[in-house]
Amino acid sequence: MKSTRMAKTASAVILAGVLAACVSAVSSAATGSTKVVTISVASLIPGSTPAAKAQFDSQVKEFEKVNPSIKVTPVEYQWLGSTFAAKLAAGTLPTVFEVPFTDARTLGDNGQLADLTANVKKLPYFAKYNPAVIAEGTTSKGKIVALPKGAYAQALHYNRKLFAAAGLDPNKPPTTWAQLRSYAKQITDKTGKAGYAEMAKGDNTGGWILTTLVYSLGGRMESGTGAKAKATLDNPQTLAGLNLLKQMRWTDNSMGANFDYGWSDINQAFAAGNVGMYINGSDVYTNLVSASNIDPSIYGIAPIPLAKNAKNAGVLGGGTLVAVRPDANAASRAAAVKWIDFFYERPLVDKAQAVRNAQTLVAGKQPVGVPALPVFNKAQYDLANSWIKPYINVPQSQMKPFNTGIFKQKLIPEPAVSTQSVYHALDPVVQAVLTDKNANITQLLQDANSSAQAAISQGK
Amino acid sequence: MAERDPKPVRYRARRTPVTWVRGGGLAALIFLLPMLFVFGAFSWYPIVRTAIMALQHTNLVQPATWVGLDNFRTVLHDPLLPTAVKNTAVFAGLALVFGYPIPLVAAVLMSEVRRLRGVFSALAYLPVVIPPVVAVLLWKTFYNGDATGVFNTILGWIHLGPYPWLQSQGTALPSLVLESTWANAGGTVIIYLAALTGVNSELYEAASVDGASIWRKVWHITLPQLRGVLLLTMILQIIGTAQVFLEPYLFTSGGPANATVTVLLMIYNYAFGNSLGGDYGSATALSLMLAAFLAIFSLAYLRATRSWSTR
Amino acid sequence: MIRRSRRSVSTGHALISPADWRRPGVRWGLGGAQVLLLVGLVVIGLGPLLWLAKSAITPTLDTLSHPMALFPHGAAWNNLREAWTNVHVGRYFWNTVALAIGSWLSQIVIATTAGFALSVLRPKYAAVINALLLTTLFVPAVVLLVPLYIEIVHPPFIHHSFIDSYWAIWLPAGASAFNVVVVKRFFDNLPREIFEAARIDGAGPFRLFVAVVLPMSRPILGVVSVFAVLASWKDFLWPLLVLTNPDRQPLSVRLPNIQSQTELGVFLAALLIASLVPIIGFLVFQRSFLRGTGLGGALKG
Repeated sequence: MKSTRMAKTASAVILAGVLAACVSAVSSAATGSTKVVTISVASLIPGSTPAAKAQFDSQVKEFEKVNPSIKVTPVEYQWLGSTFAAKLAAGTLPTVFEVPFTDARTLGDNGQLADLTANVKKLPYFAKYNPAVIAEGTTSKGKIVALPKGAYAQALHYNRKLFAAAGLDPNKPPTTWAQLRSYAKQITDKTGKAGYAEMAKGDNTGGWILTTLVYSLGGRMESGTGAKAKATLDNPQTLAGLNLLKQMRWTDNSMGANFDYGWSDINQAFAAGNVGMYINGSDVYTNLVSASNIDPSIYGIAPIPLAKNAKNAGVLGGGTLVAVRPDANAASRAAAVKWIDFFYERPLVDKAQAVRNAQTLVAGKQPVGVPALPVFNKAQYDLANSWIKPYINVPQSQMKPFNTGIFKQKLIPEPAVSTQSVYHALDPVVQAVLTDKNANITQLLQDANSSAQAAISQGK
Repeated sequence: MAERDPKPVRYRARRTPVTWVRGGGLAALIFLLPMLFVFGAFSWYPIVRTAIMALQHTNLVQPATWVGLDNFRTVLHDPLLPTAVKNTAVFAGLALVFGYPIPLVAAVLMSEVRRLRGVFSALAYLPVVIPPVVAVLLWKTFYNGDATGVFNTILGWIHLGPYPWLQSQGTALPSLVLESTWANAGGTVIIYLAALTGVNSELYEAASVDGASIWRKVWHITLPQLRGVLLLTMILQIIGTAQVFLEPYLFTSGGPANATVTVLLMIYNYAFGNSLGGDYGSATALSLMLAAFLAIFSLAYLRATRSWSTR
Repeated sequence: MIRRSRRSVSTGHALISPADWRRPGVRWGLGGAQVLLLVGLVVIGLGPLLWLAKSAITPTLDTLSHPMALFPHGAAWNNLREAWTNVHVGRYFWNTVALAIGSWLSQIVIATTAGFALSVLRPKYAAVINALLLTTLFVPAVVLLVPLYIEIVHPPFIHHSFIDSYWAIWLPAGASAFNVVVVKRFFDNLPREIFEAARIDGAGPFRLFVAVVLPMSRPILGVVSVFAVLASWKDFLWPLLVLTNPDRQPLSVRLPNIQSQTELGVFLAALLIASLVPIIGFLVFQRSFLRGTGLGGALKG
């Protein structure tokens, strides 16, 4: 009896050993040789917490264990409209890096991203991608140059503690802009903090948030496509949106004293409890934890209020793509796609990988279950969320307003042509409205429109 | 500049390559090599390259194409250019108003201090040794527009403010100049102090014998004796502030609403600000225009002040 | 131009004669002005640094709500530790030092060798080189920015980018026409008889340089060194462009990058650490700093 059990155990051990040997033999055979390929990959933004860094490093170790012939060097990385071009020109981007939806196609057309078509088409889940999402990373000639990291819808993030302190119900975020305005005033009046704050730095974020506001009122920044696109920055909804900001800033004085927030600054200010409400991508909670160590109990997220009577009103949606340097050789390209598959894509489509990923994140005290949008389809998104359910460590009940509301909203992509230039043209308009009581909004919008139009015609 | 030309050290007359080497020709060349390489590669060649690039359209991705004066036209038609030129001029002008007379007064006072002179100089110079980036980031905290900002708290003691500092189009640029003056005035003080020690004391003694008042001595002896240094620091300061970049870039990125965009920030943004690729042609065209302006301005300045400074 | 007479002039209280000082109006008025000046200098020159020192060890919340209060809720020494261990100020500090030392060395080597060749050895073509040097003196730095950057990214003849290499900082730093001209003028003023004597003693150009000229040029090397080190500390735009790898960046590039993600108290602690060493360096070498700056200002004329 005893001996047979021992024999069984022994044979199991041997079997496992043989299997392991086989697997490693197969994997080294698959890579063709034992030659090690080194790739550098975008990791976290500068200034992330040690816990977040440790979590990322453990992902890398995991990957290297599965792919012994690939060595991964994490490089801290943040896409900024104002610095990306210099890094691109200088060739100092990591092998694998991230770009927003808005830029990948043009960069691909310019030959500045590696062609991944052959590698990507071999991925088992390739056919399942949402065609609209994969199109963002496909050049005009049909080459695939980038894969989705994730998609987001713009959302209203609010501080539940400040809501309560101002006598507002933290479970009932504003659903109209008029409500948002009065809530903001109430928060400022009661707590002295900025009721509503907005990014307005000259690095295109000001234009991005203004466009979000304008979409929610039913306006658009462009009509037509390609070089024939027409800039429509001076549409009535932009005017209305800016006037709303003007009232909140100068009549209510509910927007605080800082009007030069960039993406990171406003996240930091929000996490520090100095901002009642602000607009940012729905997935920003990850960053609020990894870079700013936010207290989860203050966090609330809701959909952007949409104008009820405007037919075109919708929520601005965007996303991040993962791309590879154009000068990466075939081996690095293959290794890069393996990393993209492992780190970005599998957790969305593969149960084992999703669970493993969630476990690593939880162990590193990083959030699991942050609201995002499907890059495949809604069913797959729900399925993936059900796999990681046991590991969800974000305050889900506080995210309910968003999670129930977002799928009822119409999702509108960012302006398709010269996106960043359009945003850039809008930056000074937002700044002017927030820093000059007597800003001539009509004139500012006309100027912005002509410089956006010039950028569109020049293909910038 | 070369008021006298001392004789070179010659080792032997040179005629053939051998005597050239023996005569020190080779040695001279060897001593010059590092300088020729570094200046050739990092000064003379880039200057020539600028002139070429200003006539080209290039973004390092596609091959460069000749476009004639197109870049200059693009720059001149950029609606931002007048704003940037105006801001740069205001910055330079304000920097002169703040940073020119105050160090002079301070230096004259300090030169007459009988005790603790080292303490005075050290205190004046201290801001200069702080790394400028640290200074800007520190002042950014001071300029916090909240009522609980550092400056607003201090001004609140005397019931002033709160002021928006960097957050208003009217006060942003002066705030930048204020920090820049703080960071740089100490160097100017020290230069004036050094120049003051060069003033011939016999002149003062003679004036004292004649019964001249202190004001008369300052006006008729100190200032005229300093005029060479005064004129020079003025033009150097103007040339420096015309190329101001650090303050607008770190404080405001040119905002709010372009109120602090300077010419150099514009050049930077042409070259590095667009995420889809740089417009190096326009950047070099604008930098050439700035250089040409500064050259003409300096010549005119030297001309206009020559009679006064050599009188 | 160096006016010899300057050194012989006493740095006494020449403007205001002892007789002036005896007049009560002068004594009180001027004395009062000087006291005011001292107070002003303490507030303006020292004040911001004292505030930085205080806030670097104050909890962030206190600094935000009561920036001028003295430790309302005690000190937070932790800020300094966090700035050192998490923000890695130390690493960026050493990067800054490495950049400064390299730039200094490159400037000293180029300025002395070129100054020696152009002033003492003076080959026939020296006039041409001099003219080229003076031309670059009139070209503002901004003209070089873009082409120099592109040259570093795609150097001619070498297919290897120098981005993220310290050579991209060190070598261009050496191309300072001001240094070469200043050193050359100093050498011009050295007594030729000594060179003649050395030559007759059989000293070749290299011995002449190392054993005679360099030891005599200490004062001017001090001036050039002060300017080289200060310029390197101050440099921001160029390292920002060519050093993109965070591990290689100096403080000036790194600090702005992490500002928005770093808690204010820790960030101020990082700023404090970043300024401490230059301040200590200045206090120790105060004399040469001030003399260098003053002399440099005079030399520019």
